[in-house]
Amino acid sequence: MGKFVTIGERLSTTAPAVNKAFTERDPQPIIARAKQQLDAGAVYLDVNIGPAESDGEDLMKWAVKLLQSEFNNVPLALDTSNMKAIEAGISVYDRTNGKPIVNSADAAGRIEYLDLAAANDAICIALCNGEGLAKDNDERMMYCQTLLERGMEHGMEAEDIWFDPLFLVVKGMQDKQMQILECIKMFSDMGLNSTGGLSNNSNGMPKLIRPIMDSALVAMAMMQGLTSAIVNPNDLRLMETIKSCDIFKGNTLYADSYLEI
Amino acid sequence: MALKGLDIFKLSPKKNCKECGSPTCMAFSMKVAQGAVSIDACPYFSEDAKAAMSEATAPPMKTIKVGTGESEYTLGGETVLFRHEKTFVSKTRYAVAVCSCMDDAEIDAKLAAIPAVDYDRISERMFVEMIYVNYSADASTEKYVELVKKAAGLNRVLILGCEDPEAAKAALAVCKDSKPVLNGATPANYEAMNAVAAEAGVVLGVIGANNDELFDNVAALEKLGNKNMLINACTDSVKSAFATAVQFRKAAIKDSNRTCGYPSIVNVAKLAKGDAHMQAALASVFTMKYGSIVVMEQMGYAEALPLYGMRQNLFTDPQKPMKVEPGIYPINGGDENSICLTTVDFALTYFVVSGELERSGVPCNLIINDAGGLSVLTSWAAGKFSSSSIAKFFQEQEIEGKIKCRKLCIPGKVAVLKGELEAKMPGWEIIVAPREAVQLVKFLKDMQ
Amino acid sequence: MPFTAKSGKFNASINTLTIGTGDKAITLGGENVLPFYTFDAPIENAPKVGIEITDGGMENEPECIQKCYEGCTTVVDMAKAAAAMEGVEFLSLRLEGGDPNGLNKSTEELVQIVKDVAAAVDLPLVVCGCKNVEKDAELLSKAAEALDGRNALLLAAKEENYKTVGAAAGLAYKQVVGAESSVDINLAKQLNVLLSQLGVNGQSIAMNIGTASAGYGFEYVISTMDRIKAAALSQNDATLQMPIITPVASEVWGVKEAVASEADMPEWGPAEERGIDMEIETAAADLVSGSNAVILRHPASVVTISKLIKELV
Repeated sequence: MGKFVTIGERLSTTAPAVNKAFTERDPQPIIARAKQQLDAGAVYLDVNIGPAESDGEDLMKWAVKLLQSEFNNVPLALDTSNMKAIEAGISVYDRTNGKPIVNSADAAGRIEYLDLAAANDAICIALCNGEGLAKDNDERMMYCQTLLERGMEHGMEAEDIWFDPLFLVVKGMQDKQMQILECIKMFSDMGLNSTGGLSNNSNGMPKLIRPIMDSALVAMAMMQGLTSAIVNPNDLRLMETIKSCDIFKGNTLYADSYLEI
Repeated sequence: MALKGLDIFKLSPKKNCKECGSPTCMAFSMKVAQGAVSIDACPYFSEDAKAAMSEATAPPMKTIKVGTGESEYTLGGETVLFRHEKTFVSKTRYAVAVCSCMDDAEIDAKLAAIPAVDYDRISERMFVEMIYVNYSADASTEKYVELVKKAAGLNRVLILGCEDPEAAKAALAVCKDSKPVLNGATPANYEAMNAVAAEAGVVLGVIGANNDELFDNVAALEKLGNKNMLINACTDSVKSAFATAVQFRKAAIKDSNRTCGYPSIVNVAKLAKGDAHMQAALASVFTMKYGSIVVMEQMGYAEALPLYGMRQNLFTDPQKPMKVEPGIYPINGGDENSICLTTVDFALTYFVVSGELERSGVPCNLIINDAGGLSVLTSWAAGKFSSSSIAKFFQEQEIEGKIKCRKLCIPGKVAVLKGELEAKMPGWEIIVAPREAVQLVKFLKDMQ
Repeated sequence: MPFTAKSGKFNASINTLTIGTGDKAITLGGENVLPFYTFDAPIENAPKVGIEITDGGMENEPECIQKCYEGCTTVVDMAKAAAAMEGVEFLSLRLEGGDPNGLNKSTEELVQIVKDVAAAVDLPLVVCGCKNVEKDAELLSKAAEALDGRNALLLAAKEENYKTVGAAAGLAYKQVVGAESSVDINLAKQLNVLLSQLGVNGQSIAMNIGTASAGYGFEYVISTMDRIKAAALSQNDATLQMPIITPVASEVWGVKEAVASEADMPEWGPAEERGIDMEIETAAADLVSGSNAVILRHPASVVTISKLIKELV
């Protein structure tokens, strides 16, 4: 079994500083944020350039080249609703340290992202929702099946489709939390990989509480078989929890200095 | 091997008709994988798909039995490649080779030497379990049959190394009831050999010049309905023998290649080409790497002592500690007046401590407690090596009646027991020995 | 239909590590497959075989070893004789005389022996300590200094003295540092991490993860090595990708199967054969489990193990 894959979420246009840097093609803020995340132990970096309808292709190429040349071909997740931008990014991507991740497909309007990933030998994050959020796990598994079949039809290996159960916010949907965890177990029982935006659970909570909730959830989710998550790697408590869970799961060998490596 | 939900899903009709009671084919596949529902609940699962599934869930490596009665051995049946994953189940067995090409004096000497190595080590009998009786076309069938009869007299499992169907038939006529192995199905003779083995009801050993030929030959025999086989590691070089032993085992376990899933015979006598030290090295290599039967030219104590010890280590259950029999072990001619040392019954502790005591040359009595097969500190922590358990053990074993000396050394790691022992065992002088066994030599010499 | 096996080649590999200088230098590691799995990918650097001599004096050697060094009066004589033996690729000098509970030789005296041996032979050198951690810290540091430029392996830095040994051998004199753990996989990893944190280049570390003699708890050795190779190759754990060097000799020439005299155990036969086979069978098992180099004592074992390696690679 492989180590848990953390995907650093901090290169996102939703952050004003990042948005500005992307728009102005200013490398420094991007590099600085990337470095912080990698130093903290992120495996992949998510590159969210937003919708980028006008210059997405150029921007994604610029970002991929910038990050990979600066950080020894760091593996990246390419995150935008502009499919052409993802393809453009992959065209300049070096896969020495891992396939690119296409972020993301769903079982409705974005199912073609799977075709795109298949055509480019990429990993694809597959959200288990359709037009709206799934109401229960029967529905999630229906979407899962649709996505899996689509990917396999296009020649993808099942292991390259990372299923996202869609983590839900506790404040408002506390009663659905165990469902999500059970869904992860089902992916795992099927032998499928999984990922997701785990910190969504703690949206709206006080800043001090969020790392605690996120850490507890990641531990429970890893127990259920979650193989990856899109996280803030600069959340020390969360990263320590992930490293510790990797020890319990036998994904890494224990040494007293395990938190330092 | 259990199938993953995904493997079942791939074979499923993917119709989502819900007739099975599950909302989707994926949910159904998951339940089948968990064993919660039978595959038959789906009306649309094809017969081919069901056959593929039952093939995939069969054990990856066959379990083959040879010999009869006390000399019956189980070979193969392994499910893993590394012992830390799960205990290896079938020990490597050793055979010594004789050949009808040898003259009578040589044959008699070889056979006479076989029973020489026969000893117990941690409750396991160590001896040569099999005899490889090789047929030479240069000698007559009668001579071969006589040799088989002679070898059978030693009550070991026989492996008939014979590629001539007629000679094999004649040999089996005199020994088939003891369930020998008929080792000699080549691509040239496999049909005839298969018939001979089937008629006698014995295991057939399969040979190929290389892995491809071997694989094809096994497949051809399977087509004839034979599933009771052993595969021979190629003998043209050490490298190719190693390749067969490892690759076939790996293909069986990891890639579910059933044609590779048979126990193996490795003829190190052939590979070593008369170099006795090389043979020892190869016997060790193929004990470690997947030989079910290792054929040797000779097995003296020099080869045997490390080899059987290695085998005992390799095939232990990681969950079960190796224990030695509790009791008094006199060392260096220790008698009733010699100093006593006590420790636990964990085999490793016993070996290390007794080895150091022997090195010291000082006559002494090593008294092994019943401590559940745990190490000194572990058993102490578990209350199985305490002052009361030691005192009780001395009473039960009536040690005071057997030994006059009243000096008892305890391991340095449990020095805390000194006071309690002196209270519970009046008359004894309790001496704290060093913490590490390696310091015992100096300790005992200094004490004299 | 030919036999088709899936390749067991990994994306990660064991570090390559060179010991010694010039023509006689040896390179360990580099493989991206399990030990001797040449059918998965070629193994460029075959495991290496070294011979061990000690400063402890001939009279303490088993009789059969004494015979091999007949006529030698000094450690340097032994070193020269050992270096000339068939199959020997490196020389290991064990400074057991430094043991404070034994001969308690001074560091100066021992370092002089190291210098003399180094001057007498051009084979790659391994210097082993006396197993006393305080004494070894000093001894191995001074030996590292004395061997400046020889690219020698100092065996070994342990948990208790890695700072001193690592600083001298790894940082000051750029020798190869041995990291010693006794059949404890977590400690093996930890020591590599600690040495790296100290600044020692991971490419200059060799692991001595320990061994046992065949029959003496060897299952722990097997599983430790199997798991180290699995972590290094399949999990790409860079903290465990160091080549493994195993001093077999110092284990096997102490067990009774190897040293009990024929007079004591008549049915066991000649002691020399038992000692050789114990050394050979243990070394062979170490090698197929993952040792990239083994250190042996009997010349006949060296010959056989060298031949075995050649046949397997």
